[in-house]
Amino acid sequence: MKKNLQWKVVLTLVIVGGAIFLAYPFSDAKIKRGLDLKGGIHLSMQVMTDDSINIETDQEVGRLEELLKKNSISFAKVSKEGLGRIAVQGTLADQEGKTRDLFDEYSRDWEYSFAGDRATLSLKPLVIQFLRDQSVSQAKETIEIRVNGLGVSEPLIQRQGADKIIVELPGVDDPDRVKELIKVTAVLEWKLVKAGPAADEATLLAATNGQVPEDAEVLKGDPKRGQGGFYLVDKVSVVTGKDLRTIRRTQDEWNNPAVAFSLNSDGGARFEQVTGANIGKQIAIILDKKVQSAPVVESRISRAQGGIIRGRFTAQEADDLVVVLKAGSLPAGIKYLEERTIGPTLGADSIRQGLLAGLVAIVAVMIFMVVFYRLSGINAVVALILNVLILFGALAYFKAALTLPGIAGIILSIGMAVDANVLIFERMKEELAIGKGVISAVAQGFSRAFSAIFDSNLTTIISAVFLFQFGTGPIRGYAVTLTISLFANLFTAVFVSRLLFDLTVRKSAKTLSI
Amino acid sequence: MQLFKTPSIRFMKYKYIALAVTAAIVLSGLLNIAVFKGLKLGVDFGEGTLLRIMTKTPSSEGQIRDLLQTIGLGKSQVSKIGNTGQEFQIRALETAPTKATDREQIESHEALADRIIAALRGGEGAAEKARGLVDLNAIDEKSLTALLESAFPGSGPDAAQRILSYRTQTGIITDFKILDGLGLKPDVQAFLQDKAYLGSLTVLSRETVGPQAGADLRRKAVQATIWSLLGMLVYIALRFKIEYGVSAIFTLAQDVLITMSVYSFTNREINLPIVAGILTIVGFSINDTIVIFDRVRENQKLMRGKPLEDIMNVAINQCLGRTVITSGTVFLTVLALFLFGGEVINDFAFLMLIGTIEGIYSTIYLSCPVVLFWQKWFGSKKTARR
Repeated sequence: MKKNLQWKVVLTLVIVGGAIFLAYPFSDAKIKRGLDLKGGIHLSMQVMTDDSINIETDQEVGRLEELLKKNSISFAKVSKEGLGRIAVQGTLADQEGKTRDLFDEYSRDWEYSFAGDRATLSLKPLVIQFLRDQSVSQAKETIEIRVNGLGVSEPLIQRQGADKIIVELPGVDDPDRVKELIKVTAVLEWKLVKAGPAADEATLLAATNGQVPEDAEVLKGDPKRGQGGFYLVDKVSVVTGKDLRTIRRTQDEWNNPAVAFSLNSDGGARFEQVTGANIGKQIAIILDKKVQSAPVVESRISRAQGGIIRGRFTAQEADDLVVVLKAGSLPAGIKYLEERTIGPTLGADSIRQGLLAGLVAIVAVMIFMVVFYRLSGINAVVALILNVLILFGALAYFKAALTLPGIAGIILSIGMAVDANVLIFERMKEELAIGKGVISAVAQGFSRAFSAIFDSNLTTIISAVFLFQFGTGPIRGYAVTLTISLFANLFTAVFVSRLLFDLTVRKSAKTLSI
Repeated sequence: MQLFKTPSIRFMKYKYIALAVTAAIVLSGLLNIAVFKGLKLGVDFGEGTLLRIMTKTPSSEGQIRDLLQTIGLGKSQVSKIGNTGQEFQIRALETAPTKATDREQIESHEALADRIIAALRGGEGAAEKARGLVDLNAIDEKSLTALLESAFPGSGPDAAQRILSYRTQTGIITDFKILDGLGLKPDVQAFLQDKAYLGSLTVLSRETVGPQAGADLRRKAVQATIWSLLGMLVYIALRFKIEYGVSAIFTLAQDVLITMSVYSFTNREINLPIVAGILTIVGFSINDTIVIFDRVRENQKLMRGKPLEDIMNVAINQCLGRTVITSGTVFLTVLALFLFGGEVINDFAFLMLIGTIEGIYSTIYLSCPVVLFWQKWFGSKKTARR
């Protein structure tokens, strides 16, 4: 064997061997199948980031009222004017300076302006952006926790664009449960209870003459948690899911299951102050506007100590509450944009039919190449097989999923692999026809055909890269397999095929089997 | 084996006729899309709900449409899949567009799917559910395992798995008798007959895309296509000349337009996998075009002084053997997909069948003439002298 052929053989064996090693045994664990082939659920959702701004605004309203009162600044009303906008009405002109100082010190996230007896505060754009962004990443993390609780293997949870989250759960066979779990939109709030629980609204509002006070709202108890009825609670929440730091199951002093939570410093301070001022009163834990429970505040809860939620829990119920509360730490609501459920039957059908069709196609191409190009055709067949092996190796390495559009990409690349061989072989025939010797015809065939093969493959690779960059799901799947197998094609159809010729065609050969 | 001796057909002689034919096809296609039939956007782009169901007993499109009529959705498209008469695809379009917010729309589409499934099931199951029976054609693995485990401790998971893998394989359980063949113990079978019933349909897939997501997907698909075309233009312009790049883009635009026209004429829906199909056609077509351009580039060095038109004729003829063999192979491949690929791949394969033929035509009769015309109009003096 010639020296320069030796390293080529070694290189080829290393690459192909590596590909087989990566993809072996070509099972599900190695070659991931996309949802369209495997069955599963694809959900695309939008985080209603406005919610987080609204919550921030509501809290600021409460904070401002207290702040103004504490500093004995007179005012008529603090009210929410819109998204991230608050108006303070009835301020006195001679207290404007003092109010400004207060705002400067305590409401740094807000821009304010004074006009007559009215101060308007609006959330700074940067802060709004930060809150929105934070709510999306937090929502994503929360959904991750919930989905992991499902025990699905290899779930995909991805942030897309400014406010979208994509969830893909392969092989899930009960979509309703998943949708239910993620759909618990879950805005979690702690609010002081003014009255309740009562069996109906009329009883609840008896003390306030049937009117709902301006600073309060009526909420229902969550029947699922066994506490129905109606509650009258403060409009402004004490703390929200955003303020939670940790939450876990624990035991109270009588060894009954309970749930422990701790708050971040900001929320902890507020919680400490509110619980201290409201011992003996009820504080409602509210999830999605439904009261989960309304324990009585037994003592002031310091910011370091956090809190404990106790009730007549069984261990299971406490666990569930942890899940709900963790789920509750979503900072904003979720809206579904897109929902696809592919049953396992359809996925299995697709893969069976796709495989059959793919096999028939590849075998047909191979038979054709061998019949038409005889021994040279075998070279092409070997190159084609190596191409597919390398593709699977790369799919396994990149953990890219094989999808139906991905199969389309493979078909295009098989077509182009065949084309590369056809170009080379036809060129060899031309060279042989004008009377060139076998060795020189082989060499010329490869070198003359190379520019066409290189340009056409590279053009398609360029387009595939753009498709990957700008496309969505299925189009990306197509771009991935296409790019990989075109690179593999440049290697197998040009390099390996040439090597096979060099290895098999003798220098003294008078004829070429083509 | 030699297919034929290198022929010398004067392809470029017919360039005006060919351009007229191309223009006619593209124009009629565009007219059809813009004025008459329009482009049918699938559930991926056009928002709405797509359901695939399998019925326990063979049914017909008419029967299903009648059932949908009862909930005012008689106008939904119902199409049979395969020839068992059990599989159907339902594309629900709301009778009157609701002027709801985005949030309500996606909810209403989801609700629509639920209503359709309920309507197709009819009244069945109510009595059974009242007696606490479960639908063996709808139950998930966990619940079935739990149910079986409660009566037969230890053998629940195995039995449930056997039953559900059978259901996955066939799509629906038509009769309790088939449980015999699954190696289940007689008392398990008796228990199931007692505790479960067989619902009249299974939902194979359901897809709901809201208006916002639909518009987003549409925008991204168009964006991706345009950027990838631009990428190709730049590369070809660099490797060849600007006119070759422009002509390649013309050719590809024609490929896309013609395939979309055929889709419009044949009433097929455009979905994301179809976009992948169109891109594949574009890929093959650009491949063909480059192979010929490459030969033209090479011949220009060998045939100095000859007019470009002659050089092109020679190049096309030299590549003809390769064109026929490659395209023939691809055509065979796609034909295999079309015949054996099943419903999911069928649409894609159909597209490719048109595309392979159309791709050859566009390579010969659009990419080369456009280069010729470009050089005629903007041609440098150097080319004119040739």
